[in-house]
Amino acid sequence: MSFFFQELVNGITTGALYALVALGFSMVYGVLKLLNFAHGDLYMVGAYIGFFVIQFFGGSASLSIAVPLLLVIMFVVAAGLVGGLGVAIERFAYRPLRDAPRIAPLITAIGVSFFLESSALLLFGAQYRVYNTSEFISLSSGIRIGSVTIDSVQILVLVMGLVLMTGLRILVNRTRLGKQMRAVAVDREAAEMLGINVNFVITATFLLGSALAGIAGVMGGLLFNTVTSTIGFIVGLKAFTAAVVGGIGSIPGAMLGGLVIGVAESMVTGYISSTYTNLIVFGLLIVVMLVRPSGLLGRAQLQKV
Amino acid sequence: MKGRLVLVAAAVGSLVVAGCSSSSSSSSSSAAAAGGGSSASTKACVASIGFEGPITGPVASLGTEQLHFAELAVAMDNAANNTKITLVQGDTQLQPAQAVTVTQQFTSNANILAVVGPAGSQEVEAVGGPMARAGMPFISGSATAVALTTGSYPTFFRVVSKDSVQGPQDANYIVNTLHPKALMIVDDQEAYSTGLVSAMLPIFQAAGIKVDHESVSQKVTDFSSLVAKVTPAESVVVLPWQIAANAQQFGRDMAQEHKTAVIFGTDGLFSPGTFTISGSYVSSFGPDITAIPADAAIAQAAQTKYGSFGTFGPPVFAATHVIDEAISSVCKAGQTPSRANVLAAIKTTNEPTSILGQPISFDSHGDLVNGKFFLFKITPAGKYQLIPS
Repeated sequence: MSFFFQELVNGITTGALYALVALGFSMVYGVLKLLNFAHGDLYMVGAYIGFFVIQFFGGSASLSIAVPLLLVIMFVVAAGLVGGLGVAIERFAYRPLRDAPRIAPLITAIGVSFFLESSALLLFGAQYRVYNTSEFISLSSGIRIGSVTIDSVQILVLVMGLVLMTGLRILVNRTRLGKQMRAVAVDREAAEMLGINVNFVITATFLLGSALAGIAGVMGGLLFNTVTSTIGFIVGLKAFTAAVVGGIGSIPGAMLGGLVIGVAESMVTGYISSTYTNLIVFGLLIVVMLVRPSGLLGRAQLQKV
Repeated sequence: MKGRLVLVAAAVGSLVVAGCSSSSSSSSSSAAAAGGGSSASTKACVASIGFEGPITGPVASLGTEQLHFAELAVAMDNAANNTKITLVQGDTQLQPAQAVTVTQQFTSNANILAVVGPAGSQEVEAVGGPMARAGMPFISGSATAVALTTGSYPTFFRVVSKDSVQGPQDANYIVNTLHPKALMIVDDQEAYSTGLVSAMLPIFQAAGIKVDHESVSQKVTDFSSLVAKVTPAESVVVLPWQIAANAQQFGRDMAQEHKTAVIFGTDGLFSPGTFTISGSYVSSFGPDITAIPADAAIAQAAQTKYGSFGTFGPPVFAATHVIDEAISSVCKAGQTPSRANVLAAIKTTNEPTSILGQPISFDSHGDLVNGKFFLFKITPAGKYQLIPS
C-alpha cells in the first residue's frame, strides 16, 4: 500500500507541474483559439532563469542569501521575465496574424518554439545546467510516513501549484478582468462591441499564462535538477495533452488533465513498466477522447449552420 | 507536427545545399581527375573532412564535445603536418534521417574526402550505404553496435570497441564483483542503449539474477516513479545512458526515496562534475585523458579552449587524427588526396600510440584492433577512480 501512495505522491507532483503549464495553453486557446506551441519553451526559459538566479547568488553550494528568499526571487523573476516574454511574443508574432486563417498563427507558434529553443542553445550552450537542489534544500527534510517520502521540494511544488491554481480560478471567476477574459473567450467581437478592451485582455492572458509557465519552469528545475534547451518540448507536449484531455479552454479541466496524466504515468510506471508508460497512458487518453470528445470538463459547443 | 516541419525544412535545406554543392562537386572532381596521379608534393596539402554529430538536440552536450575535439585535432595536425585541412560541420541531432541529409551534402561535395562520425549506431546504419556508394571513408568515435562491422559498410571504421566487448565485460563485472540477487536495468530507448542491454541480459540471466528491464526516453527527467519500483533486493541499477545529468537526477531520486542500490552506468555518464553519485560505477569506451601523462598537452588545450569534458571527445580526436594522418601521408607520397587513396591509407593505419592510451589499427571489417574499455568508480568526493582491469 505504501508503494501505491509513493507513486500517487510522485504522480500528483509531476501532474501539478503539467497542470500549471496546461493552464497557460488552455487560457490562450480560450481567448484566441490558438494552440500556442511555444508555451513549453516558456517553461524552459523559466527553468534557465531560475538557474541563473541561483548562480547570481553564489551558486547552489555557497548561496549568499537565505533559501526562502532565494526561492521567492527565483519565482518572481521567472514569472516577471517569462510573462514579459509571453507578452512580447503575442505582440510581435501573434497579434499581426489575429485575423489571418488559423493555420498561420499555428505555424508561427511552431516557428516561435524553434526560435526560443535555438536561441537558448546559442545563448546558454549545449551543456546541461544543474540546479543541485539538494545542496541547498536537504533531501532528508520533508515528511516521511511509513516508507512514503515527500521531500521539501515536492511539498513546495504541491503547495505552490495549489495556491496558483486556486488564485487563477478566483481571478477568472470573481474579478473584473476574469469576467472580461470569459467574455472574450465566448465571443471576441461581441465583447469588443460591449466596450471591452480586447487587446488588453489578450495581453493580460498571455502575461498570466506565460508567468505560470515560468514559475513551473523553476519548479521543474528544483524538482528535476536539469535544464537544457530541449526540456520544453516534452513538458509542452504533456501539458498540451493535459489541456485537451481536461477540455481545452477550461481552467479546471487543465488542472484535472495535468493531474490525470501525472498520476497515470506514475501508476503505469510503478505497476506495469516504464517501457509501456506512453503507450498505455496515451492509449487511455484516446479512449477518454473517444468517450468525451470535448474533454473531461469541456463543454460540447453548438455550431450554428 | 514539429518532427514533420523539421523533415520538410531539412528536405528543402538539403535540396538547396545539394544543388549548390553539386556544381562545386563537378568542378572539383574534374580538377582532381586532372591532377590525379601527378606529383603534388610541392603543392599545399589541401582537403576538407566532414564532421557528423549531434550539435543540437537532447545530446548536444556530447555532440559539441565531439566537435570541439575534432576541431582541436585538425588544428594540431595542420600545425604538425603543414597541411590545410578544414572541417565541415554537419548536425545530425542523433537522428538517422538527419544524418542521411547531412551525408548527402557531404558526399556531393567533392572537396570532402572523409567524414568523422556519425555518433550513433543507428545513424551509421542509415548512412553506411550512401557512404559506401560514394566511396567515402568515415570513422566514428562512439558508434558501438556489433552489426556495424559485419561487412555491410566497407568504408566504415571506428576507434572504440563494440557492444559485444563492453556489454559482457560490464555484465561480468557486475555479476562477479557486485553479486546482486536482483537488479534493474533501464535503457534510454536509443540504439546505443538497447544494444548494450541486449549484450548484458544473457549474462545476468545465466547467472540467475532476477532482472527488471525498464525503459525511459532520453527526454524524460522525472524518475521518481521508476525509482519507487527499485526493491530492496535490487542492489544494482544499470543505466546504459548517454545523458549524465539524467543519471544524477536518478541518483538524487534514489536518495530522496531512501534507496541504496548502486548505479552502474556507461560512456555518457562519464562526466565529473555532473554525475557525482558516490559509489557508482561508469564503464567507458574512452579513457580519462586527464590521467594520461602523454595527453597532458591535448587535455590542457581542450580545457583552456572549451572547458571541462568527458570521454566522448577524445575518441573523436583519435578518429580525426587518423584521417588527418591519412591525408598527410597521401600528400607526402606525392599524390593528390582523393577519397580512394585516403580510404586506402586509413585501412593501413598503424599508430603505435594514441590519445586513447592504446595503439590504433583496424581489422578487415573496420574494427579497432584490441580495443579496450575502462571502468571507473566514483569516490565520495565525486572523483572518478580508474579500476585496474
